[in-house]
This record gives sequence, C-alpha cells and structure tokens, in this order.
Amino acid sequence: MSMPASDRMAPPVRKRVFKITVLDVVVIGAVAVLIGYLIYRVNTELVYHWDWSRVFEYFVYYDEETQSWRKNLLIEGLIILVRICVWAAIFGLVLGLVMGVCRVSDVLLLRLVSRGYVEFVRNIPPVPFFFIMFFFVGNQLLKPLDLTALAQGASPFWQDVFLVIFGETNLLRNFAAAAIALALYEGAYITEIVRAGIQSIERGQWEAGQSLGLSRYQQLRNIILPQAVQRIAPPLANQSIQLIKDSALVSLLSVQELTFMGNEIQATTTRVFETWLTVGAMYFVVCYGLARLFARMERRMGRGRAT
Amino acid sequence: MASTVESTTAVTGATSAPKRAPWIDLAQFVVLVVGLFYLAMTGANALNYNWQWYRMPKLLYRVIDGEFVWGPLMEGLFVTFEITAWSLPLAAAIGLTTALLRRSNSFAGRALATGYLQLIRNTPILVQVYIFYFVFAPMFGLGGFWACVLALSFHEGSFAAEIFRAGIESVHKGQWEASDSLGIKRADTYRYVVLPQAIPLMLPPLTSQIVTLIKHSSILSAVAVFDLTTMALDQVAETFMAFEIWLTTGAIYLVVTVTLSVLINLFENRIRRRSQR
Repeated sequence: MSMPASDRMAPPVRKRVFKITVLDVVVIGAVAVLIGYLIYRVNTELVYHWDWSRVFEYFVYYDEETQSWRKNLLIEGLIILVRICVWAAIFGLVLGLVMGVCRVSDVLLLRLVSRGYVEFVRNIPPVPFFFIMFFFVGNQLLKPLDLTALAQGASPFWQDVFLVIFGETNLLRNFAAAAIALALYEGAYITEIVRAGIQSIERGQWEAGQSLGLSRYQQLRNIILPQAVQRIAPPLANQSIQLIKDSALVSLLSVQELTFMGNEIQATTTRVFETWLTVGAMYFVVCYGLARLFARMERRMGRGRAT
Repeated sequence: MASTVESTTAVTGATSAPKRAPWIDLAQFVVLVVGLFYLAMTGANALNYNWQWYRMPKLLYRVIDGEFVWGPLMEGLFVTFEITAWSLPLAAAIGLTTALLRRSNSFAGRALATGYLQLIRNTPILVQVYIFYFVFAPMFGLGGFWACVLALSFHEGSFAAEIFRAGIESVHKGQWEASDSLGIKRADTYRYVVLPQAIPLMLPPLTSQIVTLIKHSSILSAVAVFDLTTMALDQVAETFMAFEIWLTTGAIYLVVTVTLSVLINLFENRIRRRSQR
C-alpha cells in the first residue's frame, strides 16, 4: 500500500539499503524451523505420500473414447463460480444502486427501508443469512414458479442458451435461489458504497441543480450520479473480489462451484492436503490477478484524470 | 441510527418537496415489514408447512426435575462466544506483529507480512477454514476446535493489521524524530512513545472486530465445531423445523451483534470524550 507522503505520516522505513538485520535472521530462522517441523511431521509421523497427479487429473482428463481432452470437476467448478458471480453481480448491482439512492433520499420511508435492509444483512452472520434466504427464496418464491419445467419446456435453442448461462436445468431452482441469496448479501455492501459515493459529492452540486429548477430525480440522474460513478468504481471493483470470495459460501447450499467440487474431490480421492491446497491456490490466482488488474486500471484512470 | 438519518439529509441539502410528518413514514415502514412477514408466513402455510413454534423453547432451555438446562442452541451460542474470546486476542497479536513487521527494516519480515496479507485477502474464508481444518490441523496435530480458532484468528488478523497500521501511521512524525534525537532505540520508541499514543485510537475499531468475529465464526459450521450455526443445522436435520430454527438463530445473532454494536458505540463515545478533555 503506498501512502501519500505527508508531514502527518510517521517515517515509513528508515533504511531501504539491502542489509541483513537481526530481525531478518530471526524471521528466516523461525520460518525455516516451522517448515522443517512440518516436513518432519508429514514425512515421519503422518507418513503422508504426496500424490499431486491424482488431484491434477481433476483439471482436465484425456477421454479415451472420444480421443480428446475434457474438462473435469475443478474447471467445471470454476465455470459455475463465474456463472453464479456474474448473476449475483448483476442483481446485486441493481439492488445496491436502487437501495443506495434510497439511502440518501429525502423520503424517510425509503431511508428506513434501505437502512433496515443494510442493517439486517450486516448483522446476521453470512451462513444463517444464506440459509434463511435460501429457504425462503427457494421454497416460497421459486417453487411455485417451477423454473425447471419452464426451462425444459423451452425450444432447443433456448435450452442451449440456458445451459450456458444457468447451467444444468434440473438444478435451476437451487442455482437461482443461491444466486439471489448471494445478490441480496452483496447488495447491502454495494448500497453502502453507492451511498458513500453520492454523499462524497459536494452539496453545492445539488444546490446548483436545484437553482436551475431541476427536479430531485433530474439532479440525481444528470448531475450527481455521473460524478459519483467515478468515485464508486474503485470500491466496486474491490467488492467484486469480495463477491468471488463470498461465493464460496454457496457451496454450503449445494451449488456445485469450486469449493463444493473441492469437497467432492477430497472425498473421492482422499488426497485431502493436495485438494485443499489446489483449491486455495485457484482462488488465490483468480482474486490476486483481479486485484492487480484493478489496481493497474485505477492507476491508469487516475493518471488520465490528472492530465 | 437517528443521527445518521439526519446527517444524510444534511449532506444532500435542502429539499424542494414539502416535508411529510415523519410518523407517516414510520407507520408505512412498519406496515411494510409486517406485510413482508405476513406474506412469508402465508406462503409457508400455502406449502402446508407445519408450524411448531411450541417446540422451539425446548431448543433454548429446559427444566428437568426442577433443574435448569440450556438447550442445544444456547450451548452453541456459548461455543461461539468461546471461539470469539480466544480469537480476539490472537487476532490482535497477529495483527500487531504483521503491522510491525511490515514497517520493519528487515526484508524477510516485510516479505513474510506481505505474503501473509496477500494470501489471506485473496482466498475465501471458507477455504481458509478447510485448509486449517483438513491440512494444518493434522500436520501440526491440532484438535478441531483449535484449528477453527486459528483459522479465524489468522483471517481476522489481516484486518487487525490494517487497524494497527493506520493507528501507528497516525502518530505524528515529530514524535519519531524527537525520540530519534534522544537516541532511543527503535523498539523502545514503539514501546514508550508510539504505541501508547496509537493504541487508544485503535481500540474502538479493534473492539468492533468482535462483531465481525462472531459473524465469521458461523462459517466454522462447515467443519465439525459445535457453534450456534452448527447446532441450528443439526436441529434442522433432526426436527425439520427449518423456518422456526433459522429465524430463531438469526434473531439470536441479531440480538448479540446489535447489543455489542451499541455497547461499542458507548465505549467509543467515552474514549472520544476523554481524549477531548
């Protein structure tokens, strides 16, 4: 994290010259001891035989019948993860935008509704929240709709489309309920981001719009939101990484995304260590990659604005 | 809550429409909430859901032969508190160590701290719990409970590190220079000059970590630790009272977190008042 150098700040680090200090020796020593102890435990006491190939088969495998490489559970889990995140992002963004605008509305009712929503989501732990929403949304709203029958009654073309954007149609209700639960969860955080963005716009901008005779909606739409969007974009990008991390929780609702597949693979192969380290690494690559990408985009946008 | 509502109006400026009486909005809000609840209930009835609220108290407490016994949900709540109580000081210790290592002049220390932060920030907490529970626990020969406490501590430690960093950086540069000119060693500068000034600033955000910890501890239900969420899952499987149990569990968490938030606010105000004096 680079901080703007200002007088208020304590000096960052005194020496940047490359020099081995006592602390270096202590840290390296401690890490070495820890790793040494781990290796001793795993090899000598647990007698664990590492076999990464068993887990790597679950990325892609060679199908003898069709003579071709096919994707396996880990890649499928990743695809379902992307799918559910995209849906949750779309719904969550719409919800967050509406609720965020309500949050700064001059109608008390709207403020109460959005505030109540945000506090409800933020004060209930994620797992009970997901289960409550999953039961209510899944059983009450989606059961009468019978999405599976709807989807399977569609023409073959649309069935192919559904397969790409929703996944297997017989799991559709499950998928939709989980996506809605995830969207409701993320929506609360997006609401706060939108609220902060709108409130960061100077009051004079509202007043100027008012003095031009614009209605409150027009002020918001034409003056405030276009300016707020620039300030909302960076935290929103970070929230998308948060969304990917939170999406791991829908594995508890039996949505077959990456973490769920990890559970399946560790059960079938009994390669517990390798499986979880692989799944963790996959999440890390995705999230870290996105974080770097967003940081770069932000730098570029910041430079563009400065000139 | 009231103060925030007022301040939002203040920021967005004067309004053009004539103001309605606030109680009309309040009444509408109450009607809306009651209506939503009613819809959910009738929806459940339409599915022939068999409400059995009368069985709920038994899950909270029981009186057997005049002796008071906590029910499974309350037992679970106590385990949640226990996990939180262990994780909070551990997370603070990890956070402080990380913050100091990041600011140290040792390249290995900085690399370790940065690596730890990046690893925690870029993986889901659920996967971290699995890795601690299924990988590190057998490797180090830890029990399930301690694996969970450590997973939670290392996760929250990354947030605590940010709090400590912000606190340390808020101490004026002149304080460092003054202690430098007195020839005080760096470790002693932290101990006698910087941390005594920084810690009061960090206390409020650190205490609000308790709420985050309680919420995140629900994720531990994915492995075998018997916290409130696990108990709720078990009881749902046993009694099939999904709606009652999940609503009650949510309400218990809500009561605990909201109470804690209010207490922390009071605590924060007191600290602020004291520092102003």
